[in-house]
Amino acid sequence: MSASPKPGSKPAVPLSERLWRALAWLEQRMNVTELFSFLTHFGVIYTPIDTQRPLREVLREIGSKPVVSYARWPHILGLLTAILFALQAISGTLLAFYYHPTATMAYESTRTIVRDVPLGWLVHQVHAWGSSLLMAVVFVRIVRLFWDGLYRAPREVLWFSGVMLGYLVIQIDFTGRLLPWDIHSYWAAIRGLEVISTVPVVGPVLAFVVGGKTLSQDSLPRFYVLHSLVLPGLYLAMVWVTFASMRRVGLSRTDEAPPATTTFRKHLADLAIIMLLLFAGLVTLATLFPFHFHGAADPYATPKGVQPPWYMLALYAVDQVPVPGWIPGLLALIVCLAIPFLPAILKRTGGRFDERRVRIAGVAVFAVWVVLSVIGVIVERS
Amino acid sequence: MAETETTPAGGPPAGSHGDRRDFLKWLSAGFLGLWAVGGAGALAAYLSPPKEAESSDNVVRVGRLADLHVGVAQLIRHGVKPFFVLRTDATNVVAMSAVCTHMRCILNYDRERKGLVCPCHDGRFDLNGNPLSGPPRRALPTYEVSVRAGEVFVRV
Amino acid sequence: MSGRPTPFARRAAVLGALALGLALAAAAVRSAPAPADAPGEEMLTAASGRCGVCHPRDRVAFEKSPHATEGLHCTSCHGGNDQTDKASTAHSGASWRGRLTKPEIPKLCGSCHSNPKLMQPYDLPVDQYALYQTSVHGQRLAKGDTRVAVCSDCHGPHEILAPNDPASSVYVTNIPRTCGRCHGDSALVKAEGIRDTYHAYLTSVHAKQLFDAGNLSAPTCVSCHGVHGATPPEGGDVNKVCGRCHTAERRYFLAGPHASGMSRGGLAECSSCHGDHAIQASVTGNLAADCVECHDKNSAEAKLGDRLLADYRGASEEIEQASKWVDRADAVPIETDDFRARVQEARTYLREAMTAAHSVRPDIMGSFTVRARSTGAEVTEEIQKELGNIRTNKLALIVFWFYVLVTVGILRRFRNARPQGR
Repeated sequence: MSASPKPGSKPAVPLSERLWRALAWLEQRMNVTELFSFLTHFGVIYTPIDTQRPLREVLREIGSKPVVSYARWPHILGLLTAILFALQAISGTLLAFYYHPTATMAYESTRTIVRDVPLGWLVHQVHAWGSSLLMAVVFVRIVRLFWDGLYRAPREVLWFSGVMLGYLVIQIDFTGRLLPWDIHSYWAAIRGLEVISTVPVVGPVLAFVVGGKTLSQDSLPRFYVLHSLVLPGLYLAMVWVTFASMRRVGLSRTDEAPPATTTFRKHLADLAIIMLLLFAGLVTLATLFPFHFHGAADPYATPKGVQPPWYMLALYAVDQVPVPGWIPGLLALIVCLAIPFLPAILKRTGGRFDERRVRIAGVAVFAVWVVLSVIGVIVERS
Repeated sequence: MAETETTPAGGPPAGSHGDRRDFLKWLSAGFLGLWAVGGAGALAAYLSPPKEAESSDNVVRVGRLADLHVGVAQLIRHGVKPFFVLRTDATNVVAMSAVCTHMRCILNYDRERKGLVCPCHDGRFDLNGNPLSGPPRRALPTYEVSVRAGEVFVRV
Repeated sequence: MSGRPTPFARRAAVLGALALGLALAAAAVRSAPAPADAPGEEMLTAASGRCGVCHPRDRVAFEKSPHATEGLHCTSCHGGNDQTDKASTAHSGASWRGRLTKPEIPKLCGSCHSNPKLMQPYDLPVDQYALYQTSVHGQRLAKGDTRVAVCSDCHGPHEILAPNDPASSVYVTNIPRTCGRCHGDSALVKAEGIRDTYHAYLTSVHAKQLFDAGNLSAPTCVSCHGVHGATPPEGGDVNKVCGRCHTAERRYFLAGPHASGMSRGGLAECSSCHGDHAIQASVTGNLAADCVECHDKNSAEAKLGDRLLADYRGASEEIEQASKWVDRADAVPIETDDFRARVQEARTYLREAMTAAHSVRPDIMGSFTVRARSTGAEVTEEIQKELGNIRTNKLALIVFWFYVLVTVGILRRFRNARPQGR
């Protein structure tokens, strides 16, 4: 808010000018623009920035140029992925202030957060709902990238990082589920670990990393570290790769028309409105439909109705077929490896698959996966 | 919401209703500022640790009188308020805080001198909680002891 | 070394080894000593000689007891000759005693069982006969009354087993029945002018603990009355035994006014309120009801009893209310394990309050009911706060959305405002 000085008054230095002068003072001592450009790596602004120019100039330029408006479908999917992740990071950090990652204290500390800490219930539910929304958004984004054929050159890296984000989100969800150490999450984690262990090579390695197939005292801290440090770190790395690629190949366009642009002011306002409505939506879900957790985990009592997490049900269903366990695991591994490398596979087939055929194949694979998951549910129930 | 270039549908042209615009600007700024205030307040509320549940009536049952020997002090580890229970003779039992009033170290009982001594800076207290020597300036809180049917109760 | 063994040689070697193994096993089995037989109907030991030819049942019973294996014979107690099966020869001789009479039995048993040298190797006590002579049974026997119990009435005449043998008539769960053979026989009881204490005992909570719950520490007749020196209680002496198990109750009782008052009045301490043989589990309502057994209805003591009961009931209601609120919280659901633990703690305090009630002092009992009450009240309050919070949150959501929409409006104004010249 730069108000011009009123006529007749002493020339007072407005606050904004003071701030710019302070910034100039700092810029003589360190490269502030470089620090600012750090934001571009994570997509807050993804136009390239010349880090040798003073920050004020850079900001002025950013503010005056038209911005490709990505706060709209379909690019909003990517935007939401980033915003939701930031929300999860913030709510997760706040939860970590009170959470004790040991088997004896995990449940109690979670219960303290939910029941006794002021607004703790809100932080916890925002984190829980946020994770579901994040998974949904990442998944929808992958589907949309697939449907619009946006895995073809030169967007292979974007496709790869998008799929990797999906895998990472699943792993973050799996490691995070166990943390409340309540009776359902404990046993669901054990079931999940069983399912994972059937995958050859990768399975036993993962089971080793998390401390073994049976959940012991030492497993929980490992899950915690994976969930809060390692996997989010990898996720951020993938986000960084996404934006690095985006800077090179640009936002996707499904037609030949020039991209819609908007002013920086409008874009900023759009972002703020989206974030606000997203936050409000999460708060609503948190208040009206809270997740509940039941009783502390008991390693000696398995409750009824324990299932592996929903994304593992398909593999679980295939595991029920009476063949040696590594066969369905190997199939799953092949499929999971094939998806991010889809462009390479398509190249190998030498263009026999046109867009329509690929779409049909993709829908078929998805349908198979859904059917297997449903079978998994039915097998569990019986 | 995310429109491309449109005709600005914003406020009236500059100059005609300047005061109203300014007022609205201040109001908007204030409203948005409320988010900051609310957020800071919520954060502060969240980060302040929840009160520890106080035990009912704050009366702690220490044990049987017969198990307390004369001249021996027992340290009772009662939450954040540990205290000593000391039987001075056949019929008298005293209780006082075990937390030094200097830097909150936990005191030890000195049998020979019949007092409490702090291992951190050698502060000393007598059996009434009065500081005798060393850095502590404030007396130790003493607690009411009642003996009923052979059981010792202390009100902290 | 001549080359590899032929297939035939290999087969022969295997068969030979098998045969050798079997032969060795057979020899081992045959030469193994026969396992010691438990005394059974088939055995004929040296202890009974040939008496069992005519007295098979008695022989079998005798040979089940340790007496048979420790060098006693039928002739040790009955005399006579046990090497012949001719009745006339067997039932004769200088040592012949025949069927023993009641007055003879205690002295005869005592002739061994009061001898320290004889009993020392078995580490058995030697005071039974002496104690027996102090008991009512022994005293009446000395006066010539044979309608009393002697050694064989309780221990059995022939099948005398150690008290820790579950088949023994003096095993802990069998003692009531053994005593009850006389003390529960309605004709005998009426004739002797004593009470049927056996059937009364069977209705008691002690009997239920012993028989239904299998609690072998539960008291039987001998726990309170003594074993060989059994004497009915005088002036409440037996009641001192109650405190050996019910220690806390006795401690509180001694701290109250009843202890000195009842001893002065020669009243039985525990059984005045709880009964003696047909003791039932305590009912809280009796806390006030029993006072009027001794105290006047309008006396201060009776009013004290009412006050104690009211105190207890108040605390109990507080706990029940808390428990209901915990159930309501579960239905929401709110996590309630620690609430349940506190309600359990409160119930424990309440249970202790009943024990402390034996002091009939409101300050002592009150220290427990107060804690029970306050714990229950705290739990109720905290759960109500939780439920209230949930309601408040939903209302706050509406205010929040209003706030959000206004902010969106402001942001839109900002968005669509023409930027002032930069």
